[in-house]
Amino acid sequence: MVTFDHVKKLFGSVVALSDVTFHIAPGEFVFFVGPSGAGKTTVMRLLIREYLPSEGDILFSGTSVLGLKQRDIPRLRSDIGLVFQDFQLFKEKTVRENLEVMLAVKGVEQDEWQARIEHVLGLVGLADRVDQFPGQLSGGESQRAAIARALVTGPELIFADEPTGNLDWDTASGVMELLKKINDEGKTIIVTTHHKKLVDEYRGRVITLENGKVKSDTGKTKKSPSGKATRDEKK
Amino acid sequence: MMHLKSSLRNIRRAPFQAVAAISVLSLTFFVATILAIVVFASNQLVRHFETRPQVIAFLEPEATVEQIDALREELSRDSRIRNVTYVSKEEALQIYRDLTSDNPLLGELVSPSSFPASIEFSLVDIEFANNVIEEVRQDPIVDDKVGFTATVGSEEPGDIIQRLRDISFWTRVSGVVLISVLAVNSFLVLLVIIGFRVTMKREEIESLILMGATPWFVRAPVIYEAINYGVIGAISGWLLGTVVLLYATPSINQYLGQFEIFPSDSISFFSLLGVILAGELLAALLISLLGSFIALSRSLKLTRK
Repeated sequence: MVTFDHVKKLFGSVVALSDVTFHIAPGEFVFFVGPSGAGKTTVMRLLIREYLPSEGDILFSGTSVLGLKQRDIPRLRSDIGLVFQDFQLFKEKTVRENLEVMLAVKGVEQDEWQARIEHVLGLVGLADRVDQFPGQLSGGESQRAAIARALVTGPELIFADEPTGNLDWDTASGVMELLKKINDEGKTIIVTTHHKKLVDEYRGRVITLENGKVKSDTGKTKKSPSGKATRDEKK
Repeated sequence: MMHLKSSLRNIRRAPFQAVAAISVLSLTFFVATILAIVVFASNQLVRHFETRPQVIAFLEPEATVEQIDALREELSRDSRIRNVTYVSKEEALQIYRDLTSDNPLLGELVSPSSFPASIEFSLVDIEFANNVIEEVRQDPIVDDKVGFTATVGSEEPGDIIQRLRDISFWTRVSGVVLISVLAVNSFLVLLVIIGFRVTMKREEIESLILMGATPWFVRAPVIYEAINYGVIGAISGWLLGTVVLLYATPSINQYLGQFEIFPSDSISFFSLLGVILAGELLAALLISLLGSFIALSRSLKLTRK
């Protein structure tokens, strides 16, 4: 689903990523961990083609994102559900309107909107908050609303950039449980975090970045007979 | 449709900015409506004077029918002259009697021989007046008393027309200047308000771009919002101007009496107002589009990395 092939990214003389190579298969649950400045967010921004790599290639669903024309970039981005640390919900819009905007961006027919919104809000447990504004939600609810917004268009990949960064442990656990539940439905999940305890708690593939390089990769996750993702440690 | 709804929702959720933008635009279009009507009325006034018989040439009593016909034909062929009319002694008497109908005694005291026959005509342009009068005066059947049909105080109609033309011209010039200043003012207010709205939404716009919104998707609600301001401002300014005009028309007509400066039938009257509204809507659209495009370009430039 996502392939980084010897990717290097320079910002002037600063090396953000260096020779980063990995492949993420459909249905995987992957953590990107590392200290601040390790290059986790740069991975996301390269994947959505906000940045171009200085070297190497990036593939999404088998297509090189480097070769995309400017007019095709919105389509690439709308195929990936993004979740941010600071939620980035539209403050002047209700939860429903936040979701409707994404459906409009994706070009989903309006007669499907209600069913999709009800489905994802039921999934994240915010069905009763549909007409609330972001300012009326707690931190955990805001992040669940942000996940619902990322999910509502039905993307195969959810990229959550530090989704638990602003949350306490209990709320963060709730968000991780939700992401696991979404992964169990077959979606590919990528989570960047520096929350080591969360990574230990929730099993998944862990790619550790340090100084812009892949320090370790625990290997591809595979589904256990129960459907839960398990770790296939690299030897 | 979604963008239109979204823009209307934005107006509802930020009513004070909307009121500020709409009231400035309303004022501009109210003044534009009044000025358009004033310019139209002054044109009508000038035309009224221009189309009246301006020159009257009294004929010698011994002038023959052939001579009169020859003079009429000669004047009719002159490209500077229009609407040539012959008024016989009897017709002149009848005109006099009509004018003095409230005092029949005055009419009975005179006979047709008291009034000379005359030839009346208008000029295409009042500039030709002196030359034409001098040429007509040379004709042997024309009395020396050739001149304008009426005088007002010490002024002759030619002076009045020229003065009206000057007034009409300067009304237009000052109208264009005033409207331009107001339009620039409206444009700047719109620019500031839209720019402010875009700046407030910068995070939202950044997120939308990251999440796959096309440039049009980001711009459309802002452009629709500006168009809403413009259209509502134009319609309310025009409505206000129309109400003022409808209220004042009877008094103006009564004051000006014979001068018909507004169309007399309601279809023409409302057609004139319709044309003004169409022009104002077009101007509002231009101001809104230009204002929102510039505000968006300036604000989004800061958003781009």
